Amino acid sequence: MGVTVLQPYPLPEGKSGAHIIDQLGKRLLALGATHSGQFLVDCETFISTPQPHNGAPGRAVHVLHNSEYPASTFSIIDNGTGKQVSLVADNIFDLLMLKMTNTFTSKKQTKIESRGARFEYGDFVIKLGSVTMMEHFKGILIEIEYKSCVILAYCWEMIREVLQGFLGIGVAKEFPSYFATQTIMTAMGQQQLHAKHNDIYEPMDTVKQYLEQFTNYRKHVALHGGMVSGGGQGGPTVGQPGVHIPPSSMVGMGRP
Amino acid sequence: MDKLNSTLTAVKNLRSNVKQCFEHLADGTDGEGGEESRNKFVHDFQERFGAINSQLREVEQLINGLQVPPTAYSLGNTAYLAQETSQDRQALYPQLVNSYKWIDKVHDHSFLAFNNLNQNTLRRSYNYCSQKRQRLPFSSFNNDPDHIDKLLSEINTAPHTSYRIFRPFGTNAVAIVTISNVMKAAIVFKGVLIEWVTVKGFDEPLEHDDLWAESRYEVFRKVQEHAHSAMLHFFSPTLPDLAVKSYVTWLNSHIKLFLEPCKRCGKFVANGLPPTWRDLRTLEPFHEECRNC
Amino acid sequence: MASVSSARESLSHALNNRFLPNLEYLLQGSILDSAVEHLMHRLKGLCDNVDTSPETFHDLEVCMSLRQPNSNQPLLLRVRRALGRDAPFQMRYLGNPEVDQRRPTLVRSCMDCACTNGILEFLTEMGFRLEFEYIAKGYMFRKGRMKITVSKLIKIVPGKQQDMANEPISQSYIVELSVVAPTGQENVGEEMRVFAEQLKPLVQLEKIDYKRLGGMP
Repeated sequence: MGVTVLQPYPLPEGKSGAHIIDQLGKRLLALGATHSGQFLVDCETFISTPQPHNGAPGRAVHVLHNSEYPASTFSIIDNGTGKQVSLVADNIFDLLMLKMTNTFTSKKQTKIESRGARFEYGDFVIKLGSVTMMEHFKGILIEIEYKSCVILAYCWEMIREVLQGFLGIGVAKEFPSYFATQTIMTAMGQQQLHAKHNDIYEPMDTVKQYLEQFTNYRKHVALHGGMVSGGGQGGPTVGQPGVHIPPSSMVGMGRP
Repeated sequence: MDKLNSTLTAVKNLRSNVKQCFEHLADGTDGEGGEESRNKFVHDFQERFGAINSQLREVEQLINGLQVPPTAYSLGNTAYLAQETSQDRQALYPQLVNSYKWIDKVHDHSFLAFNNLNQNTLRRSYNYCSQKRQRLPFSSFNNDPDHIDKLLSEINTAPHTSYRIFRPFGTNAVAIVTISNVMKAAIVFKGVLIEWVTVKGFDEPLEHDDLWAESRYEVFRKVQEHAHSAMLHFFSPTLPDLAVKSYVTWLNSHIKLFLEPCKRCGKFVANGLPPTWRDLRTLEPFHEECRNC
Repeated sequence: MASVSSARESLSHALNNRFLPNLEYLLQGSILDSAVEHLMHRLKGLCDNVDTSPETFHDLEVCMSLRQPNSNQPLLLRVRRALGRDAPFQMRYLGNPEVDQRRPTLVRSCMDCACTNGILEFLTEMGFRLEFEYIAKGYMFRKGRMKITVSKLIKIVPGKQQDMANEPISQSYIVELSVVAPTGQENVGEEMRVFAEQLKPLVQLEKIDYKRLGGMP
């Protein structure tokens, strides 16, 4: 387990996702990386029913799986007021969620996943994922993990160098937004600056980054319909289902 | 104890003489012989009988000379043999089975270890080849534990680095060094001579029962290789303390393993690895490929 | 290129091919404190894990409930935490016992799930409320795939955190014989009945009918 950084890869105009991924894969192999299997990260969101009457946002339970940790189920509950509690459990947790279908219903149309090839380069693991929601291509997420280091602040420059080396685009010198210094409340109720890039990295952090990105993709669908990923794999039908999601059903998903 | 021993010997002699005497009697004469052989037989018997008598006196004398021991002799666990015990009360059987298993295991392992160690000809601490010659005693590996404790506490000064010292087998120390949140290293000492170094990642287990397994990360396997060559570089039989101190200083320079780019090429990553080599004098970071050009 | 299967797929694969243990077979009984030594001796003679001393445990069990709309029965989840050692929290779902009278043991669906220590906060955020809690302390034995626990149930006196403040619920130990097995393994019950027979007359392990007891287990 090591520090992982997740980066969305901007799709240039007029290029298909499959083509870009193919190109990136070839570049990685030329760099000296070796191909080592496939990976999959998926996310399903359950929403509490019935929705609260007083207009308060409902609770959402996000259940994610990461093929890097095949025996675990990661879940994050968002109580609607911004508080998040995360949990790592055995796979059986999925079955327990099904026991609660009366209270928490799955929003099938927002099931989203990132799937693709996995490469190794020294102690780096690089994953080229194409994001799909309801079988429709949404974008490319690049995951890079440096297995032997547990603190982002130590190895960010290394990760940045590798990312720039094969992405071919500039990556800002600052830490990625997920690791940015943020204000947190201490147990004593005081506000305190917390530098997340100095924390010891945990597998949950990877999952949270995925959830952040997935939530962005879902929001795009809700707000812009099919405008984002023109020219993707799905051709003209891309994003169509997104248009049919009534905006009201998105209450409680992600943060405002 | 001496008296008891001589008494026991005397009793033994008496018994053997009595036995010989009876054997002599049982053999008898050949029957054909005349007066002469019969006389000789009786004479022999009387002689042996006399010897028995004198030995009997000797035994009696010795026994009288014995003192009653002030306390009962401590016979250790053998004393239990005389007691009638139920197996349950003593709980000896499970212990016996356990110790049997252990002895068996120890025997197997030491046999394998002996064979393996004998194949290694690059030893510095023991030199079996020179057994014929009288070799000079090597002062660096038979130092007393106090000295090593003192030495290790002296080097225990670098911030961000913690040392945990323990002695799994006898007096030789093993120090587990944790350098910030970057890496761990186990230094196995023999006296003050460094015998082995294992380097692992911060999130990998490094415990006293697992000192020899390699790191699962390429970078730390590489650092371990370098650590071994540095260990040989700093080795100095005449100034062993200084050798350990400079080695630990060198090892501590890995605190910025991921943070510093290579001094030669200015890059962080080469062949998927950070600059793993630290110059032995200047402690500057280099990639393995860059250090010799 | 072989593609990875999703976690949901492999889980339903395990369920369909019947290698996911999800049924608990259970027999229960109790024994007075004064006689528990004899039972321990008998178990030491019968069970597998007795090379050294019997394995002890000291767990806090917290039962959380979630009221469900369209259903008059709340969903119960039990979370167990080992007090003496560092181990993951265990969450357990227990279904209603099967009504089949011919089976030699109680059979109910059962799901065990190891979790990180945020589980109680997580359940609270989901809307679960504390139902009851107690401490179980005792010994665990193993015989093949059967698990035998001899444990003392300890009531938690609210407001007092010390171990000393908590008092045992009764003057006896609860004895449980259980197997968690995949569906469709009918011989488990018989195996357990035979084993329970060997513990007689020290302890009478029986199939407890919770409905007759009324209320909740």
